[in-house]
Amino acid sequence: MVEVRLENIVKRFGETVALKGISLHIKHGELFTLLGPSGCGKSTTLRIIAGLDYPTEGKVFFGDQDVTNLSSSDRGAVLVFQNYALWPHMSVFDNVAYGLRIRKLPKGEVEKRVKWALELVKLQGFEDRYPTQLSGGQQQRVAIARALVVEPKLLLLDEPLSNLDAKLRLEMRSEIRRIQRELGITVLYVTHDQEEAMAISDRIAVMNVGTVEQVGSPREIYEHPKTEFVASFMGKTNVIPAKVTEREGDRVTVEFESFRLEGLTYSGEKDDVVIVIRPERISLHPVEDAITLEGTVDLVEYYGFFVEVIGVFGERRIIARTISTREVSVIRPTQPIKFYIRRDDILVLPKQL
Amino acid sequence: MKSNWSERLFGTPKFEPLVATSYLFPLLYLLFFLIIPVLAMLAIAFTYNGSLSLHWFREIFSFNSDYIKLPSTWSLFQSVKMPGTGETLYIIQGLDFGIVLNSIIVASVVTLLASFIGTIFAFLMARYTFPGKNLFRILLFIPLLVTPFVSAYVVQQIFSEYGIVSSILHALFGFRVRVDGLAGIALAQSITYYPIVYLNAYASFINIDPSLEEQAENLGSRGFHLFRTVTFPLALPGIAAGATLVFIFSLEDLAAPIVFHSNDLAKRIMSYQIFSKFLFGTGERSPLIAALAIVMLTLAIIAFLGIRKYVSLRQYAMLSKGGRWSPRVSKPRIGQALIIYLLLLPLLLFTITPQVGVVQLAFTEQHRIVTNVTDITASVTGVMYPTGSITNGTLVTPKGGWFFQGTVKGYSDSIGVINGSISGFFVGKVTVNNGEVKLTGDISYADFQGLASRYNGTIHTQMKGPITGTGELLSGGTVNLTSTRFKATMFNIPAGQVSKFSFNYVKQMILTPDVRRYIVNSLLYSTVAVILIVLLSITSSYATSRFKGALTPVLESIVILPMAVPGIVVAMGYFYFFHLVFPGTPLDPISPATFNPAYVLILAYSVRRLPFAARSVYAGLQQVHVSLEEASMNLGASRWKTVTGIVLPLISLNVFGGAMLSFVYAMSETSVGITLGSLNMAKAPITAFMKEVLLSAAGSINIAAALGVLLITVQIISIVLVNVITKQRYSFIGLS
Repeated sequence: MVEVRLENIVKRFGETVALKGISLHIKHGELFTLLGPSGCGKSTTLRIIAGLDYPTEGKVFFGDQDVTNLSSSDRGAVLVFQNYALWPHMSVFDNVAYGLRIRKLPKGEVEKRVKWALELVKLQGFEDRYPTQLSGGQQQRVAIARALVVEPKLLLLDEPLSNLDAKLRLEMRSEIRRIQRELGITVLYVTHDQEEAMAISDRIAVMNVGTVEQVGSPREIYEHPKTEFVASFMGKTNVIPAKVTEREGDRVTVEFESFRLEGLTYSGEKDDVVIVIRPERISLHPVEDAITLEGTVDLVEYYGFFVEVIGVFGERRIIARTISTREVSVIRPTQPIKFYIRRDDILVLPKQL
Repeated sequence: MKSNWSERLFGTPKFEPLVATSYLFPLLYLLFFLIIPVLAMLAIAFTYNGSLSLHWFREIFSFNSDYIKLPSTWSLFQSVKMPGTGETLYIIQGLDFGIVLNSIIVASVVTLLASFIGTIFAFLMARYTFPGKNLFRILLFIPLLVTPFVSAYVVQQIFSEYGIVSSILHALFGFRVRVDGLAGIALAQSITYYPIVYLNAYASFINIDPSLEEQAENLGSRGFHLFRTVTFPLALPGIAAGATLVFIFSLEDLAAPIVFHSNDLAKRIMSYQIFSKFLFGTGERSPLIAALAIVMLTLAIIAFLGIRKYVSLRQYAMLSKGGRWSPRVSKPRIGQALIIYLLLLPLLLFTITPQVGVVQLAFTEQHRIVTNVTDITASVTGVMYPTGSITNGTLVTPKGGWFFQGTVKGYSDSIGVINGSISGFFVGKVTVNNGEVKLTGDISYADFQGLASRYNGTIHTQMKGPITGTGELLSGGTVNLTSTRFKATMFNIPAGQVSKFSFNYVKQMILTPDVRRYIVNSLLYSTVAVILIVLLSITSSYATSRFKGALTPVLESIVILPMAVPGIVVAMGYFYFFHLVFPGTPLDPISPATFNPAYVLILAYSVRRLPFAARSVYAGLQQVHVSLEEASMNLGASRWKTVTGIVLPLISLNVFGGAMLSFVYAMSETSVGITLGSLNMAKAPITAFMKEVLLSAAGSINIAAALGVLLITVQIISIVLVNVITKQRYSFIGLS
């Protein structure tokens, strides 16, 4: 149980720069997630914290201790690998006991601790099985037990659910959350699945091409993305390139196509912006303090309990998501339609490349 | 993280002694016992009269020298009259383009023939299912068994004038044929080495994603067009890799040239020239040997680098590998079935005859028919070689014998009166009287070498051995035996034979202390070499498969380099290098008082057979995911604990398989064993003894064959062990 600080971590592999100066602060006892598309550097960050890779520049602190040059075996930051990395020539018991035996614990203590760890992951009675005799979910639990049994300062999980089927994934997700709460340990979790990240995390760091774009609670990240990348990575969203034409302090007027949106909030310097609107925040009925867009219906997609109406505004297609109601069911393509959006729900962000 | 030299060199951000050792131990080992010895030879080859010079290479590369020239005769075969019967004998021995070109031509012909045969069988086994396929599978396994010398000897016998092929031609067309010289070498090598292409080609055909061929078929390609445009190009890298190995193996092979050495043309090949100049020289041998070795090495390296480049450019055969597929097999159509049963089956049966012949030789006692022969008038006709001379009343001929022909009259217990002619090499005591050479005395059975057989009441023997005799020289001077007529009386001449199954030779092999010693030597050297090989292959494979330092590609290349360095080149390199650096020690081959071949042979075996085990261990390591090690280190284990506790148990089967493979090939190592190894016969390995048997008349080919059977047994046991224990297909030789 420890807090982790990364200071300006840079990692180069030959010519390529995997991490471009990352600083993070993971608090004691929280479940912190690194989220991002593949190749964004999240696994590299994790491996650097685990001591399996060393940063080219920058420092890693566990509490006040500088662990940058400490080897993986001396760090106590235990990683659960994406492929579980269970040793096929050892039984479940031997796998879990491995770390304890390295620490030269007495035999009785080893047995007691292994039993505790296997109970924690609900695998009592599986001691003598071999990894190949276990299902994917069970292997996952063994890997977690193997990591927890040594009472790590920090538990690192690298895409732990990606090899499981959908149902098992949900089950293991809450299982990991339960164990983390029960033990109150600091967990660093890596995933590319934004839904998983939001469901499980206390805080999330969204990463993109070797940099951290935003750190915050799931709600902050989803509702108040700070960059175009974070906005578009977190779920389906409308991202519309636009231009700032008038400014009055934070109040700006933004134009795209022939539309002119007044009274939006933006404090950035660049005039090239994107307008970000979540589809579920678009109403088909008039609401207060809203702007109105008039266009025609292009497509209506039916998803069961909700419906997506795709409207065309000039050349621009905008998606609105709404509960399936009888009124909605009569909407047909080519009909004229009005989208109402509260000004508060419109985000103006500087355009990224 | 400023200790970046460690990361750059070894690929570990921090200096780890274990990882550094994994790099440096195999690197330094191969540097000292492969690279530097070969380079030392380079220095010698470029030195003449104490200064840097191209002298030796100028000697080799001057046109119309012994080394490069046009044949004096362009006829592919000579016809001679058989002595005694007067039948026509066609001798096919190849053309003489000089020593260097001969080697290249033989190696190229062998490569083409072996590739052709190997690819056909590989395609057949990979793509067709037919009744008797299992028989093919079993039979195809047999040519893989390595029996140095004796298998080439069997090929020589099959294609001798009294062999099966000649007999069939004689029965059909009335003439006889002997394949000898360079042609004989090429034939023997093709039969010996085609399995290398077969294994590589088979693996390639099996590894082609069927969907690639199915797509081509789907687009309208079929039959030979499909093979030519899709299947063959995809398999070509594998076939070419096998073919390259064959080229190198043929270039360096000594067994076939030694077996055919009684033919002058067979000696005109680089490997034999290096070998004989070494063997019949004394002290510091001529730098010409070093120069020839360099030429051979250059050829081998060019072939090797060429194929590495080519194969790395064409990795596409594995392009869409993912998941398992069942390979495409089909039933042959009528025409194809005819080819399989009428052409390929006989061809296959033919290619296993060396191994069958070796076993037969080892277990067949030639029971001699005792014949009391009196009054033999033997007249010498044809070429007598070598000639003898009488000095101080003693007639001496060099090693060998001479060809003579005579009439045998007598009777035997079992077949009654024999009336016919006897011809062949023969040995005996000779007395000279009044200018007339008389052969007397009991010619013991042991003096006669070779097979005797009966054709139409004619007994043919092939005998050779040294001749010595005493006599009075009345006329003075030298008697040249070339045209001498002589009268001989012989008693108890072995004049015929009945073959009988027997364990005698195997018994002799085990019970004769001399022979047993060779076996013990070989077992000892190979075992120690394999221990070294295991250490070398684990360290080198661990370093190259896990870390990406600057030394990684260097180590990768250097570990497979022994494949490209001909054995005779290693032998000569050691010869010069160890004399230079360790004079007067057990490592110095020129110091007969101190030299112990054991050390040199163990070093040579460990270097030459390393690639076999290294590939196997490397393949094993690639199947062990790195995360298994990282998980261990992450849980607090040290590198040493991780390697011994996690990595080694997981690759133990690969280590075992590779060790067995290296052991088998160390046991049958020829080039170094018969050169440096035979400098002290008390410490010589099996192959050195087999060479002695084939070079001189003193030993028995049957005991050599028994040793061949021993090697076959070792190989079969290894294969079975590897199969049972590792559940993996035993892959003999490959290159990738």
